[in-house]
Amino acid sequence: MVNDNLVDNIVSEPYKYGFVTEIESEKISKGINEDIIRLISSKKNEPEYLLNFRLNAFKKWQAMEEPDWADLGYEAIDYQDIIYYSAPKQQEKITSLDEVDPKLLETFDKLGIPLTEQKRLTNVAVDAVFDSVSIATTFKEQLAEHGVIFCSISEAIKDHSDLIEKYLGSVIPASDNYFAALNSAVFSDGSFVYIPKNVTCPMDLSSYFRINSGDSGQFERTLIIAEEASSVSYLEGCTAPMFDTNTLHAAVVELVALDDASIKYSTVQNWYAGNEQGVGGIFNFVTKRGKCLGKRSKISWSQVETGSAITWKYPSCILIGEESVGEFYSVALTNNLQQADTGTKMIHIGPKTKSTIVSKGISAGKSSNSYRGLVKIGSKAKGARNYSQCDSMLIGDKAAANTFPYIQSQQPNSEVEHEASTCRISEDQLFYLQSRGIEFEEAVSMMVSGFCRDVFNQLPMEFAAEADKLLSLKLEGSVG
Amino acid sequence: MQIIEEISKNRINKSASGSILQKICLDKLQLNPLPNHKSEIWRMANKSKLARFLDYKINHDFYKPNIPYENESQKVIRLIIGDHKKINIKEQEWEIKELDDQKILNLIQHKLLESDSTQNWSALLNHLLTNEKNICGLNIKGRNLPHLEIITNSKNNLFNSRTLIINIEKNTEVEISQINLGDDNSSLSNSSYLYLEEDSQVNHGIVSYGKYKSHLINSLNVFQKKNSVYNLGSLQFKFDFGRLEININQIEGNAKTNIKGMQITQDNEQISTYAKIAFNGPNGFLDQLNKSLARDRSHSVFEGLIVVPRIAQKTDASQLSRNLLLSNYAKIDTKPQLEIIADDVKCMHGATISQLNENELFYMRSRGLTLEQASKLQLRSYYQEIISFLPISKERWDLLALLLKNK
Repeated sequence: MVNDNLVDNIVSEPYKYGFVTEIESEKISKGINEDIIRLISSKKNEPEYLLNFRLNAFKKWQAMEEPDWADLGYEAIDYQDIIYYSAPKQQEKITSLDEVDPKLLETFDKLGIPLTEQKRLTNVAVDAVFDSVSIATTFKEQLAEHGVIFCSISEAIKDHSDLIEKYLGSVIPASDNYFAALNSAVFSDGSFVYIPKNVTCPMDLSSYFRINSGDSGQFERTLIIAEEASSVSYLEGCTAPMFDTNTLHAAVVELVALDDASIKYSTVQNWYAGNEQGVGGIFNFVTKRGKCLGKRSKISWSQVETGSAITWKYPSCILIGEESVGEFYSVALTNNLQQADTGTKMIHIGPKTKSTIVSKGISAGKSSNSYRGLVKIGSKAKGARNYSQCDSMLIGDKAAANTFPYIQSQQPNSEVEHEASTCRISEDQLFYLQSRGIEFEEAVSMMVSGFCRDVFNQLPMEFAAEADKLLSLKLEGSVG
Repeated sequence: MQIIEEISKNRINKSASGSILQKICLDKLQLNPLPNHKSEIWRMANKSKLARFLDYKINHDFYKPNIPYENESQKVIRLIIGDHKKINIKEQEWEIKELDDQKILNLIQHKLLESDSTQNWSALLNHLLTNEKNICGLNIKGRNLPHLEIITNSKNNLFNSRTLIINIEKNTEVEISQINLGDDNSSLSNSSYLYLEEDSQVNHGIVSYGKYKSHLINSLNVFQKKNSVYNLGSLQFKFDFGRLEININQIEGNAKTNIKGMQITQDNEQISTYAKIAFNGPNGFLDQLNKSLARDRSHSVFEGLIVVPRIAQKTDASQLSRNLLLSNYAKIDTKPQLEIIADDVKCMHGATISQLNENELFYMRSRGLTLEQASKLQLRSYYQEIISFLPISKERWDLLALLLKNK
């Protein structure tokens, strides 16, 4: 059998993004009520319609109950014990990166995020969000030459109010669910992307979310609009420092794809997951949804979920346009006492719509990892096609892997296929690799990476390498 | 919902003495008279159909059903639950004996006490409303037994409930077919319990065949000990509201379960199958296939759950749901689920929803068959896999002919 000590050694691999940045920040008082919402709105000088949007959402949120259907167990969240707005103190307006607090730049450097534009080689434009506000957005000018708008959502509210008014809440209405309503009421910042007609975005766009303070939640909102025949690839990364308390993260991501447009949204989520005893960690309750409005439009979600104490996340596609395509590729890894309930929803409305779901779950330690997905074929989705595959890998006999697929069809001229299997790292395979002179650790990592190959192939280059490294770092040796 | 009203107003069984079992059930049901619609196993149930299921007058009397092959042959023992016929047969190789009331109580009491009332609502309702005449308890022992045919039926405009408990002793091999016959505008509640002791084997067939506006809730609980083999073939059709709840518990693991089920819906019907298979020991085996076919405006539901706790290492379980959707207005919901903790297991599930295979149809038509003949042939092969798994002789219940005639 496998060496147990080795297992312990590697499972306890420290979280290397767990540092706290000592920076003066401006926080508002704890709790949520109408005044707090008005305060957040006034801090951001928002127009009237947005304040109404927030207040309306807050009203709806108050009338809702926290959902309990997910296979998650956690202590009740005290919503009055959270700070809903926290921002590092800095000058009102920044014209160049030189004015950004060097400590902040240092933080992002430490995280490996290139904010200084000298690092052009990476060719990725970054919007960095620190607690509640966006710090900087790089490569704005170059992008503007192509007509691409890439900025924080607060700036977009000021400069592109018409687009915000038209699309904000059009995919995920404020009343959609408990956490979406909360987000709609208190969202502080996030990214906004607009790709005009016939433009292929010249570089990958990226957001980097960093929670720094222990008692404030992060509520960001991302909106991406791809006009006719445009395309964009968007990456998202997240980290947080180590605290003993649980921090709430409730984000909303809305994507809109018009005729022939394509959006690729990739996430590497590595929030702090809590320690081995399950103390601390981020509660990650995220609503992500894309609307394929136009004909032949395409939305592709790929995600690598390795962090967070609790993950509740179902990136979905509403396939309205004829021949539109939805894709979902996911690797979810849980270790120690982490719990993840994640999956997708593919809602086929238009004819000849297609969707593919590939989900790989890896559970180690005492964690619990559930796939929950819905495939719905509406009565007008003639010729719709779905293929789903959910594989789980169990490492050790204390982890749980669950699969809950919901399949609903109302259209006879459609095909739905679903497959799921469960396996573990087989000792025969390990033995074979070791007999070939490959170290135990490396053999495990090879097999996990082979297991996830279908998903990693879908990630952009920069992310694929990072994800592979992340998984082996989190897992090596935890084989039992 | 006449029956629910009577339960909450405590009017049920006032006249009768009321057994201990009925008291337990009454207490539980008075707390939650209706199943929680938010729970997964009741979420899909059509509320108005469930209300109609509960809207008939309770009947304890026996009405002889109209069934083919009146005479018992040497090879078949026929039992109709409710008709007072005592059965105590002892032959050289085998024995069938009735269970006494205390034994029956012992067998089912623990099951009802430990579970919550939403999961077990159908059984609780059944036990509360079944009087002792309609409970059939059997103890079966031996080999080379004749085929056992157990019939439950409902009478129109009435609510009928029946309970069946069978204990299968060590080294016993038996074939049991259970026929649920639904009458026009009637409700039938049926709870069955099968206890398989070590090294026993049961080939079980359940055929539920209704008429216009028949309602049925059939809950089946199977407990398997080591090295037992349980084969179940089920077929449900022509019920306005049909519901089969299968609960298999491999108490010590090391047992085999094969399930092949099929449900056919038409008009405005809703038929559902819920299957929960729990492995409570190592080396369990499951092979389950559920087929459904939905026409017209009907709704077909399948929900399966495989539970593999840490103790159930080396479990090999697979569950497949195959569905044919034949109309634009029909609806299919399927949800095969896995809950796994043990790591050295092989668990799989799959689901497909489609219509008849066009390539096959095209091929048959190119060979000179009409579209209708070709579709019939394809449907026949679709049914055949399930029907051939039912332990019912062709002469007595020619189901395939019946099904194809209906289409």
